[in-house]
Amino acid sequence: TSRISPHALSSSSSSSWLPQAAPSRGSHWETSLLAARASLPTRAQPKKKKKVDVKKEQAQKDRMKKKIRKLEKAAPEMIPIEDFITPLKYSESNRARSLPPLSFEETERRVLLMKKWCLFKQNQDKAEKAAIQALVEAQQEALKELRLESEELYQAAIRRDEGLFPFERDGPDYTPPLPGYDPPEGKCVDITKVYTQ
Amino acid sequence: IELEKSQYSDHEIRKMEEEEKLRRRKESMYDDDEAPGKTVIMAQDLEDKWEQKLLRFKPASRITDADKKNNRTSLDRKLDRNLMLLVKQKIGNQELWLLPQVEWQPGETLRSTAERAMAMFLGDHIQAKILGNAPYGIYKYKFPRAIRTEDNVGAKVFFFKAFLQSDDLSQAELKKDYLWVTKDELGDYLKSEYLKKVNRFLLD
Repeated sequence: TSRISPHALSSSSSSSWLPQAAPSRGSHWETSLLAARASLPTRAQPKKKKKVDVKKEQAQKDRMKKKIRKLEKAAPEMIPIEDFITPLKYSESNRARSLPPLSFEETERRVLLMKKWCLFKQNQDKAEKAAIQALVEAQQEALKELRLESEELYQAAIRRDEGLFPFERDGPDYTPPLPGYDPPEGKCVDITKVYTQ
Repeated sequence: IELEKSQYSDHEIRKMEEEEKLRRRKESMYDDDEAPGKTVIMAQDLEDKWEQKLLRFKPASRITDADKKNNRTSLDRKLDRNLMLLVKQKIGNQELWLLPQVEWQPGETLRSTAERAMAMFLGDHIQAKILGNAPYGIYKYKFPRAIRTEDNVGAKVFFFKAFLQSDDLSQAELKKDYLWVTKDELGDYLKSEYLKKVNRFLLD
């Protein structure tokens, strides 16, 4: 835009029209031109700043993204199993017990006891398996008879029982529950550590 | 074996250290260098307290009243064995002790018959879990000649097993002649043939 000197304009305008109203009109022109010049976007410095900033910001974002990708690609850390790590305070020496060594009779007794226990368990297992076999036989016989009776009932009996599993049953306790027993109250605070990968 | 394979626990170490301190105090006659208020509760005291508490606690006995009186109609009897329900039913013109049974109506599966039998003898709101759709055992018998018709020569009784979940049978409308028996006592009540077949599918 051309730079028009305000004074030249004002003087010319005032000379052509009313000489008394000259200074007021001149000042009005001045202020309006000045205001116009200020409001027009001067396209020199600010635009360059914006471009450079945007580029810089984008470069930063890319760098961050690359870092994040590298971290993710690195293999995830194993979660330590706390049961397998013995805490150090239990390997101190003053913790070891000092007991007299086992006598010969004691070792003999233990070995013989172990053998008897093995035999007992073997017999128990055999008995259990025989019982299961007998049960299955009885059931097969029942199903055969049922089949002879009616095919429809047989098919209904063979069908899987969906509501059976998961099967929960509370086993018997060693002593029956006391009728008026008031168990002692206590708070239980859970301090297990939760690891996230 | 437990002593051999383990190490001293915190509690035991505390106990040992306190014993040592006591001994040293007695031997050298300290002038109460350590403030008396420090070790107020000793590990030994704790152990004594716990022993006392254990002696005071008396668990309920395993042999209940019903055991002593041999009251076979109560469920409180042999708490470590399984009990089975026996009902006295009239079949033909005989009153027999049987596992509860009802006649099968055409149009329902065997399992629903079993459920109906349970509902009849133990009340409607019974919580029992029937194990599976298939029968566990069978007992066949032939009717005496008087009742035999052309079609019905005999009858087959199929047995199902179910676990009773709830303890209270207060809502049950049990008639007077019912029993809860263990497997060994079944022989007192059931007939031999019936008993033989029933024993095949009962564990314990």
